[in-house]
Formats: sequence, C-alpha cells, structure tokens
Amino acid sequence: MNTIGCNEFLNQLGDWMENNRSADARAHVIRCGDCRSLVADLTAIQESAPSLALDDPEPSPRVWLAVRAQLEQEGLIHDGRRAPAPASTGWFDAIFAMIPRPALAAAYLAALIAVGAALVAPGSGYFQRTSSGSARWLSRTENATGPLSAQLNSAEQDTFSSFKTADPTVAASLQKNLAIVDNYIALCEKSVREDPQDEDARDYLYDAYQQKADLLAQMSDRGDIGQ
Amino acid sequence: MAEPEAIRLAQQGDAAAFERLYQLHSRRVYSLCLRMVGNTAEAEDLTQEAFLQLFRKIATFRGESAFSTWLHRLAVNVVLMKLRKKSGKETSLEQVTEGDEEAGTPRRDFGAVDIELTGSIDRVNLQRAVEQLPPGYRSVFVLHDVQGYEHNEIAEIMGCSIGNSKSQLHKARMRLRDLLHEAVRAKAREERRAAGSASGGEV
Repeated sequence: MNTIGCNEFLNQLGDWMENNRSADARAHVIRCGDCRSLVADLTAIQESAPSLALDDPEPSPRVWLAVRAQLEQEGLIHDGRRAPAPASTGWFDAIFAMIPRPALAAAYLAALIAVGAALVAPGSGYFQRTSSGSARWLSRTENATGPLSAQLNSAEQDTFSSFKTADPTVAASLQKNLAIVDNYIALCEKSVREDPQDEDARDYLYDAYQQKADLLAQMSDRGDIGQ
Repeated sequence: MAEPEAIRLAQQGDAAAFERLYQLHSRRVYSLCLRMVGNTAEAEDLTQEAFLQLFRKIATFRGESAFSTWLHRLAVNVVLMKLRKKSGKETSLEQVTEGDEEAGTPRRDFGAVDIELTGSIDRVNLQRAVEQLPPGYRSVFVLHDVQGYEHNEIAEIMGCSIGNSKSQLHKARMRLRDLLHEAVRAKAREERRAAGSASGGEV
C-alpha cells in the first residue's frame, strides 16, 4: 500500500538519509522507481564523499615556518633553543599577499635538498658532543653550505641584473625582504658556528637558505612578468 | 605530547607545544580549506591564517568545546570571510550558509535524470562538483560527508542550528546530484562526438 506521493516523500528525504524512515516512506520507495533512483544517487554521493579525504596532502612546510615566524615576531612564542627569528618576519605575509605564488626554482631546490640531506641525514655521521665533534660538524656544515651560499649569491646578482618590474613598490619590497633574509642567514650561521652540534640551529640555517632561494625565485618570476 | 598538555603549554607560550598542535591538526584544517577553495596556494594561506588566529586566542580557550571544533570554527570563518571578499559582497555568515536556497531546493525533476550515479562517481568528478557548490552548502558537505563531523558539531562550527546543518547538507547533496548528472551527460555527449568524428574520418 502506498500512502504518500512523491512530493511528500521529497519532504521526508532529509530524514530518510538520516536513517529516520517512516513506514509510508519505505512503501513509497518500493513502489516508485524515480524516488528509488533518487535515493540511490544520494546514497552513492554520501558513500563516495569520504574518498575525497583519502589522499589529503599535508600543507607545505612553509606554512608552519610562516606561522612560527609570525608568532615569534608577535612575542607569543618563547623557546631559548631556537635560533633568532628574522628581524621583521612580516615580509613573508607581505610577499605572499603581493605577488603570485612562486614555484621554487628547480635548481635551487635540488641544491637545497642536497644540502639539507648532508646536514641532517642520519647516515651523515654522528659525532659525540665534544670539541673535536663540534669542529667536525662545523667543517662538514661549512663544506655543505659553502657552495650553496656561493650559488645563491651568484643567483642574486643574476636576478638583480635582469630584474625589471613595472611596479617600483614591488621591487623595493622584494629588495627589502632580501635584506631581511640575508640578515636571518647571517644570524643562523652565527648560531651554527657557536654550536655546530645543535640540530635546531642547523635546521634553521637550512630553512634560511631555502627562504632566500624561494625569494629569488619569486623575484625572478616577477622580473619575467615585468618585462 | 598529548593534546591537553600541548594546549596547556601553548597557553604559556611554549614553542614546541604550538608546533605539536599544528602537527596534530594542520592536515585536517588544510584539507578543509583545500576542499573549500580548490586551490593549494590559497588553502595554505588560509591554513596559515586559521592557525595564527588560533594561537593568538589560545590563552582564552577554556575547553568548553572540543579543541578541534574550536579550530575548525576558526578555519571555516577564515575561509568564508575569504570567499565573501572574493565575491565582493558584504554578507553575514548566516547569509553565506543560507545562500542560494532556491538552487538547492529539492526539485521534482526526475525527467531529466535518466542514469543512476551508482558506480559512476569518481573522486575527480565529485571534487569538481563540490567546488561548484555555494560556500555554505560546500562547508556543511565537506564537514559532514567528507570529514565525518556530526550535525551538532557542525552547528557549533558554523554557528547555526542543527536543523539548519541538516537542511544545508540535504540541499548540498541534491545539488551535487544535479551537477554529477550533468557531468555524466556531458561526458556521454563528448564520447558520441568523438565516436562520430572517428567514424567520419575512416570513411
């Protein structure tokens, strides 16, 4: 027996999908092909939805770096173990608000990954926390970062020589941010020299180089756009 | 470090505790943002903003609601604010969640639907369809059907009633059905066209 029509069933459809199913609604679905098809479709959508979450990616590391830098700038974080934050970390927000999201230049990225691996990979050797261990860590770190630093300086010169943009405000902002990142690198290098065995300090140095490479890639992109 | 301990230490400004809370929740918040805006760069910016707001306010968290619910509420508000700015409209949160009522009203429109979706929904099609939903529907659908929140939690996150959450979800699914059928029909048309041009080419 069918006691309700399609319109009435549609009014109950929300409840049906919540598993609140009246006898009348059940009877209607058995009898009505259209409503049965509708229920099947909505069920298929409901059952497929969780699959969207299966391959959810992680946000890139730059998100946490930016959050942390901002919190440090605002004085909300205290941690004596950390290397000093950039003097004005607001550059990160400003830069991303102003220009398109950059793709980190492949060459820089490859170099940075190599350096990061050299600095932090377990296979790179573990030295006891001694003065000779410190010397060996410092030597290893400098050997790894020296070529990278030179490459970044060279890239910086190339970028500046070809950097053209229609907007002088953007150019000035990028150059100011580059100076901030350079200052950050100098502070991180100082921290590593003071305690070459401090993993946090080495991580921060690696992050600082990555930020500079990122910024140069952005400037390069912006220069291309401006030409 | 367990979440309650991380919250307590973060309220005292402990950097490691902030990082722990970020590790625990960033993926889910990023996922929500990504489903809402469909763009990784924007989703990352929104994730960043949501966590900044969270950490700025963490000293005020008293544990009346679940921490993740509180965080998601912040994230949803950040996303909706962004979408509102994008659309250039100054509208209230209620308007965003209630918006586009007519388009989502269940329709007695069986005639146009001749194929069942069962077995034909893949993730790409579904994601495309979700991106076409109005923001309010999209939020509730993502929170409930994708991320598994209950209506009472969504009501708290969205600042609406439980009934409103249920209603928005139902309308979202109805709209998705239309969009997915449209996609299936478009694909069928494309295949017929391709088959036609291929057979024409052989003659």
